[in-house]
Amino acid sequence: MSDQNLPAIYAKDLIKSYGSFRALKGIDLQVHSGEIFGFLGPNGAGKTTAIRCMLDMIRRDSGAIEIFGKDPQIESVAVRDLCGYLPGELRLDENASVKSVLNYLRRLRQGGKDCSENILQLASRLDLSLESKIKNLSKGNKQKLGIIAAFMHNPKLLLLDEPTSGLDPLVQQTVLELVKEAKQSGATIFFSSHVLAEVQSVADRVAIIKNGEIVEVGVTSSLLSKRSWRAKIKFGSDDSGRKAMIEALKDTKVLKVSDDGRIYDIGIEGDVDSFIKCIAAFEVDYLEINKPNLEEIFLSYYGDYNS
Amino acid sequence: MNNVLTIAFYSLRRSFWIILGWGIPLMLLGIITIPFYDLVAENEKQLRPVLNTLKPLLKSFIGGDEAEQVFTPEGFIALRYFAFLPVVMGIFGSVYGSGLLAGDEEKGILDFLMAHPISRAQMFWGRLVAFFISLTFIIGLGWLGLWLGVLKAESMIFSPLKLILPYISVFAVTWLFACLSLAFSMVMPSRSAAAMFSGIIVLAGYIITTLSKAIKGLEAWALFSPITYFQGNAMVGLELDLLMKLLIASSLFIFFARRGFGSRDIRVAGDGGWKIPLLDPR
Repeated sequence: MSDQNLPAIYAKDLIKSYGSFRALKGIDLQVHSGEIFGFLGPNGAGKTTAIRCMLDMIRRDSGAIEIFGKDPQIESVAVRDLCGYLPGELRLDENASVKSVLNYLRRLRQGGKDCSENILQLASRLDLSLESKIKNLSKGNKQKLGIIAAFMHNPKLLLLDEPTSGLDPLVQQTVLELVKEAKQSGATIFFSSHVLAEVQSVADRVAIIKNGEIVEVGVTSSLLSKRSWRAKIKFGSDDSGRKAMIEALKDTKVLKVSDDGRIYDIGIEGDVDSFIKCIAAFEVDYLEINKPNLEEIFLSYYGDYNS
Repeated sequence: MNNVLTIAFYSLRRSFWIILGWGIPLMLLGIITIPFYDLVAENEKQLRPVLNTLKPLLKSFIGGDEAEQVFTPEGFIALRYFAFLPVVMGIFGSVYGSGLLAGDEEKGILDFLMAHPISRAQMFWGRLVAFFISLTFIIGLGWLGLWLGVLKAESMIFSPLKLILPYISVFAVTWLFACLSLAFSMVMPSRSAAAMFSGIIVLAGYIITTLSKAIKGLEAWALFSPITYFQGNAMVGLELDLLMKLLIASSLFIFFARRGFGSRDIRVAGDGGWKIPLLDPR
């Protein structure tokens, strides 16, 4: 099988424990070559553990994991050569300068002139001074250094753990542009984020991880479209027969009615046409109808977490 | 090999202030201490009877039966200069060795570095080579100080090459404690725990070796103390078998450390820590 046909990331029944705590409880995951894959989950869900397994920083208990067909535990150097990695919490040698750290990392990658030029270009786009000492950098500027290190060698696979964390909105946009450009040049991007709006805007597919298990995975657009409509209506007057009429509609469910019987929360699984026609018979003060965004889908899995 | 050298040279650059911080005081120690031999030689007649009246246990702390050698130039250097160096350098080796990998690991730096195309073996050997070179520089500065001290002392004439012999033994002892501490740091939950255990062995070893000169029952225990194999008096002849024993033990610790680093998870900042049942609030 050529590299192009191999999945960028393949994980089967991946299990990893820290002592008695099971961080990954049998993850199955397939990330296609050339896609942007969003990995969602709150702190402690297992996102970073999964990424660290991919780079052989931690050893799995059981299951399989492959990066472009290579097992990180057997071919760790080859796997890391293919990857650019930005950790969730970037820690660096505080006494070094940005330039010396990036040069060191470039030499570890046996990077040549192209790599050096990329460093200069990325530093300019991200507005990062190469002469600064690491200890004088803000969290955002340290993050920029991490982004440069991850992108500088044009890797086939980018593993980005919270890439926009600590960055101002303008630089966040630049980073998302870099992600899109990397995809256009054929790279695969696997990134975890808390900022669900940015995942929704760039990811081709997403997976949601909860307590070490993947609870949802799919194409971002279809994940959003297959979810039911939510309608909130405030009727002009009270009418006891109205509820029965709405509930009689196919795939429509009244989720909540206010005490005065005028405000309804309604879930609609299929077409909204019959619902609109049904409520047209009544006096409506207010109507709001929408599909849940990725954030609401995410939160639906984390009801307990959020409460 | 290329990556090992890249890692070694970068680590060496980071060690610049450590080399100066340990090397310069060691150099000053030689410059300041050695010229005192002139005074000791001048006052030998007054000092010798005092030495003879000391009880064996007290005498063991200033060299035991060899204490009277302090009146010879070689003996003075061995007893007044090199006697405490294995402890000082052993503590240095323990601290440095424990932090060789676990230091950056606990800071979270290693996690990021290991995402680059380098093997764990390359990282391990790169750091170890850097430590070897750092230690050579520190020992070199110490030797330079000793030589300058000898030049300053009027009643001492030694070639610089002869002065290097006890320092070869200092190197071997420091190297052993660094390797021991490195091996500990691969199995213990924190760097400080590894440094502490290695430091305890340094001090316990020093006490056992010293007391074994006065207490016969400790002679068997002293065989397990690395300090016993230290040769502060190597200017009169370096015993290669003692040196080899230290180097073989160091190689064993390196072997265990390398295996430990190759097979375990790389920790990130905040991982690890002692969990003592009943005392652990978690």
